[in-house]
Amino acid sequence: MSISPENELENLEGNHACAVAAIAAGCRFYAGYPITPSSEIAERMALELPKVDGTFIQMEDEIGSMGAVVGASIGGVKAMTATSGPGFSLKQENLGFAAATEIPCVIINVMRGGPSTGMPTRPAQGDVMQARWGTHGDHPIIVLTPCSVKEIYEQTIRAFDLSETLRVPVVVLFDETIGHLIETIDLSQTNNRKLVERKWASGPQEGFQPYAMTEDSIPPMPRPGDGYRTHITGLHHGESGFPTQDPGQVERFIQRILGKLDQHRQQVESYEAFECEDAELLVVAYGITARAAKRAVKQARAKKIKAGLFRPITLWPFPETVFCSLAKGTKAVLVPEMNAGQLNLEIERHCSDSTRVIPINRFDGEPIAPGQIFEKIQELVSK
Amino acid sequence: MKEFEIRFSGSGGQGLILVTRILATALISQGLKIAQSQSYEPTSRGGLSRSDLVVSVETADYPLATALDYLLILDELAIGVSDDIIGKGCLIVVDSERVSSKPKGKYKVHSLPLTSIAQKLGSKRVANLVALGALAGLGGFCDQDTLEKATRHHAPKGFLDLNLDALRAGFELSETLPPSQISNK
Amino acid sequence: MIEENIQRFDIRDYLRTHLFPHFMCPGCGHGIALRALLWAIHELGISKDKLAIISGIGCSGRTGAYIDAHTIHTTHGRPLAYATGLKLARPDLEVIVITGDGDCLAIGGNHLIHACRRNLNLTCLMLNNETYGMTGGQVSPTTSNDRFTTTTPLGNYEPVFDACALAIGAGASLVGREITMHVTALKDLMKEGISHQGFSFLEILSDCTEIYGRKNELGESAEMVLSQKANYRSDSYGNQVDEPFKPRDITTGILAKNDRVEYLDACHQHKMSKLQKAMNT
Repeated sequence: MSISPENELENLEGNHACAVAAIAAGCRFYAGYPITPSSEIAERMALELPKVDGTFIQMEDEIGSMGAVVGASIGGVKAMTATSGPGFSLKQENLGFAAATEIPCVIINVMRGGPSTGMPTRPAQGDVMQARWGTHGDHPIIVLTPCSVKEIYEQTIRAFDLSETLRVPVVVLFDETIGHLIETIDLSQTNNRKLVERKWASGPQEGFQPYAMTEDSIPPMPRPGDGYRTHITGLHHGESGFPTQDPGQVERFIQRILGKLDQHRQQVESYEAFECEDAELLVVAYGITARAAKRAVKQARAKKIKAGLFRPITLWPFPETVFCSLAKGTKAVLVPEMNAGQLNLEIERHCSDSTRVIPINRFDGEPIAPGQIFEKIQELVSK
Repeated sequence: MKEFEIRFSGSGGQGLILVTRILATALISQGLKIAQSQSYEPTSRGGLSRSDLVVSVETADYPLATALDYLLILDELAIGVSDDIIGKGCLIVVDSERVSSKPKGKYKVHSLPLTSIAQKLGSKRVANLVALGALAGLGGFCDQDTLEKATRHHAPKGFLDLNLDALRAGFELSETLPPSQISNK
Repeated sequence: MIEENIQRFDIRDYLRTHLFPHFMCPGCGHGIALRALLWAIHELGISKDKLAIISGIGCSGRTGAYIDAHTIHTTHGRPLAYATGLKLARPDLEVIVITGDGDCLAIGGNHLIHACRRNLNLTCLMLNNETYGMTGGQVSPTTSNDRFTTTTPLGNYEPVFDACALAIGAGASLVGREITMHVTALKDLMKEGISHQGFSFLEILSDCTEIYGRKNELGESAEMVLSQKANYRSDSYGNQVDEPFKPRDITTGILAKNDRVEYLDACHQHKMSKLQKAMNT
């Protein structure tokens, strides 16, 4: 809230930025259930949606919220929910339905300490693997992980754009620290953006195949009321949309929904590479931890230590090609995370034997400080 | 790039987040960028509460406080809590009536009768604004005029005059303190 | 009756016959319920293009796929949640939920009571066959006393849920029950439920012949349907359900109806009155 009208700068909380961005992205439906530390998103949506003729509903539980979001999206309305660990667990089955039936939707998970009820008001990064593998079966999913209020705004909009165009559920994953952080952001450049719309079915209704293979692997979606009268089911289905147990059809179906993220990898992947070109020591971090890592890398560079930061913004699918090229030839990769070592596993998978992968873990409800990372960098260099 | 870091600490219900917001608004109106974070216990009244601002010209690389330049301690509960991140030469203001001990270490500490000044103005609940005025006056990180504008923006309706009086009283108080008196050695 | 003006009902106009043979067992009551529903839709003149059928998991859940409309076969217990989202997003659609006793009362019970409370304009058809047929015949919240199922090998001793009493208690603005024996009455009840402005909950007593019927030696499907009639009390078009747990004491017809304001109407009225207030001040 700026004092002078000509000033476009605003101090905005991360969770509020998320809600404001969703509205800007064209979100017109929100269903949720109160949970710390994400409730401010619901509260802001409740305030904003009526202004744009959208719908807000507080459902009876987390499961119902996810169901309602998918239902609304089937109706053709951009839809979102927000939650935290325990609620994210409850949403997984309906999230899997959205992945299998290719219904666009955005799920915000503001991470708190876990497992179980954990530490509701303290930050953590413990849902990295759940965000990837939370629902059962092989399924496509995109996970974006912003590290600032500005980036929450940008990535929430991007989440809608990716979800709508690729017909994949998108999770925006950030920690409580970022969710409750208030930062100055400039919203003046974000106005008047062109809304991204999903590809709607058009053309003959007779013989329409709602899950037909297309060149881009993304079949156009039939809108209820447009005369296509198709079937949507969480059962494995053929191109017709009806259930099948035919091995050939099932294989083609799974291959297509998994393959579409590979096919559109360039659009999906995003990352920041800071001082990576000549780096001998790479820090891989995301969320609030990445900001600590950036300061640590700056401190290291000031001491002529060749350190760099690789920050995946798209956490899943992990931007592995670019990471591998940057990690090649480095002596060590440091992976600070506010969990017991989750992304670390993915990093180990992509590093050759000559590169040491060293985790820095913290799960006591406190963020990893820049000093903690810098000390580790110094320790490694002095060895 | 880093300008300064400030923490308002005390107990829940003392209006620490409100003064942080007022200061944040004042600072961005001067073209600075802020990162505000807070921590409180799951009760609306009582329990340790703190609210931080990291102020910079460009967006801060790390948005959480790591070396405080200014610290307010409005309740005994908050003593010791910030010890790990008090920066060199930190200016500390403590409420002389609510805080009996003093932070350990070589800091500039002012023990000021914030609560009784607030009480004289009409309500001890505006001790937060007295503190803000005193800290800003001593630290010089924000001028009175800008803070008054920001206070008008954020102060609860019906309490604006009281809040402004408290802020001014804080600035006045700071002017009475000679720099030589303030060292805690 | 106005029905003279309506084109003769041919069920094939409303079915995806290319999916036949269907999955239902011989004698299953769900087929009768499906026919009654399509008949009701026909007589109400609802366009298939504007019709969305949302179902959950189980035998009831699979029934929707045969309807030539926009059909959505969701997750277990959640069709009411999906339907709530769809109806809120698209009030222009006629949204009908097909669910079962396990889907609706056990795993999805929370959604049912809140759908009743909200009174959003949905129609919920609960096909009650007293068992989890799809999974092989386990006990459900509506399995009658002493009945054998695969998980009550000594007979069921748990109290039986009266779904209609639950729906009335939770505030559904139209609650009714019918047996598949009465196809015409069932069709008429469905018409009433679908036309009703608000949340309608209809319990349809349907028979699981192959699994539940066999296990309990209830006879062939004809005998089971007839036993519905034997248990049916002619004086029971009453307006209330006085006891929550009253197995096999079947009251049919409309059990409760009120003109409580519909959810979206309430939402609209509320918004308007706030705007009015804002303009007056």
